[in-house]
Amino acid sequence: MDAAAPRPKDNQGEPLPRVDGRLKVTGQAHYPADLPTGNIAYGALATSSIAKGKVTKLHLDDARAVPGLLDIVTYGDMDKVEKPKFGNSGATSVGPLHDRIIFHDGQIIALAVAETFEAAEEAAQLIRAEYEEEKPTATFDSPGTATIPAAGKSPLFKEDVKAGDFDAAYAGAAVKIDQRYSTPTQHHNPIELFSTTAFWQGDQLVVHEPSQNVTGWKVELARQLKMDPGKVRIVSPFIGGAFGSKGPMTPRTAIVAVAAKRLGRPVRCVTSRMQAFGTQTYRAETRHRIQIGAGKDGRIAAFAHEGWEVTSRPDSYVVGGTSATGRMYDYGSILTHVSLVQADRNTPGYMRSPPETPYVYALENAMDEMAVALGMDPVEFRRINEPKTEPIGKKPFSSRSLIQCYDQAAEAFGWAKRDPKVGAMRDRDWLVGMGCATAIYPTAVAPCAARVRLTVDGDVRLQCGSHEIGTGVRTVAAQMASERLGVGIDKISVEMGDSSLPPAPVSGGSISTASVCSAVLKACDAVRAKLYAGATAEGGPLAGSHNDELDLADGKIVAKSGASAKVEDVIKTMQVGAIEEYAEFAPKGATPEALKKLYAGTPEFHGGEQDEDSVKYAFGAEFVEVRINRYTREIRVPRLVGAFAAGRIMNTRTARSQLMGGMIWGIGQALHEATEIDRRYARYVNRDLQDYLVPVNADIKDLQVILVPEIDHAVNPAGVKGLGELGNVGTAAAVASAVYHATGKRIRDLPIRIEQLLA
Amino acid sequence: MSQPSALSATGLNRRSFMTGTASAAAAVPLLGSPVKAEAAHGSGAELRQPVVTSLRINKQSYELSIDPRTSLLDVLRDHAGLTGTKKGCDHGQCGACTVLVDGKRVLSCLSFAVMNGGKEVTTIEGLASSDGALHPMQQAFIDHDAFQCGYCTPGQIMSAIGCVNEGHAQSEGDIREYMSGNICRCAAYPNIVAAIMQARDETKGA
Repeated sequence: MDAAAPRPKDNQGEPLPRVDGRLKVTGQAHYPADLPTGNIAYGALATSSIAKGKVTKLHLDDARAVPGLLDIVTYGDMDKVEKPKFGNSGATSVGPLHDRIIFHDGQIIALAVAETFEAAEEAAQLIRAEYEEEKPTATFDSPGTATIPAAGKSPLFKEDVKAGDFDAAYAGAAVKIDQRYSTPTQHHNPIELFSTTAFWQGDQLVVHEPSQNVTGWKVELARQLKMDPGKVRIVSPFIGGAFGSKGPMTPRTAIVAVAAKRLGRPVRCVTSRMQAFGTQTYRAETRHRIQIGAGKDGRIAAFAHEGWEVTSRPDSYVVGGTSATGRMYDYGSILTHVSLVQADRNTPGYMRSPPETPYVYALENAMDEMAVALGMDPVEFRRINEPKTEPIGKKPFSSRSLIQCYDQAAEAFGWAKRDPKVGAMRDRDWLVGMGCATAIYPTAVAPCAARVRLTVDGDVRLQCGSHEIGTGVRTVAAQMASERLGVGIDKISVEMGDSSLPPAPVSGGSISTASVCSAVLKACDAVRAKLYAGATAEGGPLAGSHNDELDLADGKIVAKSGASAKVEDVIKTMQVGAIEEYAEFAPKGATPEALKKLYAGTPEFHGGEQDEDSVKYAFGAEFVEVRINRYTREIRVPRLVGAFAAGRIMNTRTARSQLMGGMIWGIGQALHEATEIDRRYARYVNRDLQDYLVPVNADIKDLQVILVPEIDHAVNPAGVKGLGELGNVGTAAAVASAVYHATGKRIRDLPIRIEQLLA
Repeated sequence: MSQPSALSATGLNRRSFMTGTASAAAAVPLLGSPVKAEAAHGSGAELRQPVVTSLRINKQSYELSIDPRTSLLDVLRDHAGLTGTKKGCDHGQCGACTVLVDGKRVLSCLSFAVMNGGKEVTTIEGLASSDGALHPMQQAFIDHDAFQCGYCTPGQIMSAIGCVNEGHAQSEGDIREYMSGNICRCAAYPNIVAAIMQARDETKGA
């Protein structure tokens, strides 16, 4: 019908409209801060104005004098609560109200609660602190940083990968580059503000908060509040953009829960856009040194990638993208090392393709430089270095369609028409440049549970504690149930985003479609098995048929013989009102504790480079055209083409939208996004959407997504590779490549701004 | 040394501006006579006294007792129970709170509710007809998958209707320009443009 609904190719599902589309266009989709809650009190945060030191005194009298003020939660009030833990479910180990030490600018120092939002904000602004202030360390090159090796600091980053003898191979290479690249601090800035609404029902706590991980948060919040996790419920039916920012819980949640308990009424705290910069996580700034050595034939013999990443003093958040860059091409020899650089900052965290966005940017910009050094076409250079097995462990790829992606994207883009000479392509006052880069993202899957009920009326109720962050997971789960149970999508209702539902893993790492659909598949097949048993039982409508001769379609069980029975009638003969199955899916290679860990909110991830049999990645190729004004150096990106292969595509519409959104994120990485830091005070400066630039409608013109067919049975039972984080990997390097092609200037520090092109 | 909290130290929002101007005026008599400044200071408390405000929202009348500092956005969400209108920045920078006031698009976070007496406010909840039929713009957003998470969507749709009625949807380029006050972080932009192109002719006068 139109670009938004691509015609499915092999192994691709129908582009059904989102099952929750109507709710979203009518304002009836309830995000956590929308959920009706009676007798609510409003909370507002007061935050520190220094980045390092100690709070010596708080002046609360002015705040307490505000009419309508109900309570102030501050130092001393959290003493009976455990401090947060840094990890999967926790954004930081800093318990901001547990002690008076200030670890970063914008740290919570109090929560003011009042009858109205206006009074709460007024009171919060009247809270004054006295500090014993120390000189903070802001970031790279600031006095006082501490640099430590990253390997082993995170369970997700165990080692610096290496293979072969890099030094010898690099020394002997005919053509080589040795360059440095950098990426800035970035904040997710989902449009939904961060918020917590908490209320108590007797000894049970209910929290409405946008979350990518309701099960993990339930367990972690219960630990902090010293409660039985069964008495904590996290509700997050719709999430207004997440991108990793709502994966780990922040200390605010417990503070608001304590306020609600003290007042005996619901408390809602909506964090301001400005305060979110310091109270939530962000993408760490990174630096890279890349060395590539190759023969004159373009075959890479040596690859080294060294990375440095800023983290906080108390928590070692590791970006660690060398695991992916080290497996990208057939390098010959590989040497990597990652270091953490500690500064007086809030703890960074996951932001859309956390390791790959910065690390693959550096690699792909370097690959483009290397192609220039070799005098080769950049697509051809990648083709020559396409590996047969992954270069570190020499395991096969479960599937790898990178070259098909390059071929299809290049064709659609018109790459053959590119004049490779720098500055050769012009259109009146505009310098035209064309560039390309590779996208890669590991394919992982985690244990997941789901409950499916089929009623005698043919209605299906599907329950799974996953999270609708905009990916369309409700829609694809319904599609899987529709396919397996032979009922129309309109007969299926999907419940998600509630920790009282069967647990699902954190919606991060692009695992949700694979994990949720695998669990739904298992539950639906169990329902089918019961139905078939009922149909073929003695006295059943299809008695005598074997299960493997049966199929389910259009509300009927159909036997190979042609005989059929309505599902409704089969359920009636079984003398039940509904068939319900609860399924727990555990991926291949899962440990015996895998399901227990799912319920504990610490799910195991499988896939990527961890499996014994093969390494599992999704790939893509992106091409961009840039236009740079010859006088003003204004940079525009009028055209993007991306081709991606990600196993089975459940729904071509939602898949295309995610990839498109990712590519536009890539434009943001390339040209717009950077959180600026005042080095004197270790403080973020551009803390709003006016000064933190993100792409807007006028920044995007033609954008084409090509879904390259790919079949991969090894990744998971659903055959699905995640793609939510694939689209924004590589884009920034493709832009840098195109900017070089247009101007001859190699920009290595993101974002690429006019001033870098003026000199 | 006593320091103000970061909130007030680094950026006045309009609330602190309102309460802040009173004391600023008192501290800087050059801006007016001392008597006037005293009067201004005295009015601070009155600013917080609830006022009864009559509003017309989606063709219904509301009589609400509100803090006069309350934005139209917060009145819609917290007092009228119309949570379809979203808060994304509270600074007029993201467009998520866009509503129509007398048919024109307005950022409801930058408008005090009390300024809207006697005007007709239309929110996302007021678009579909009572029989449930969607406004052509709502249907077009579904058809073209013009959203992912859906959070900015009510603002996008209200803004799109305003954009069409302003005559700023003549071309795709026009739409991209005049819809750039509505940020979609999921970046459904090409789909939003396609949706507006589809619904444009049906929307005029709808």
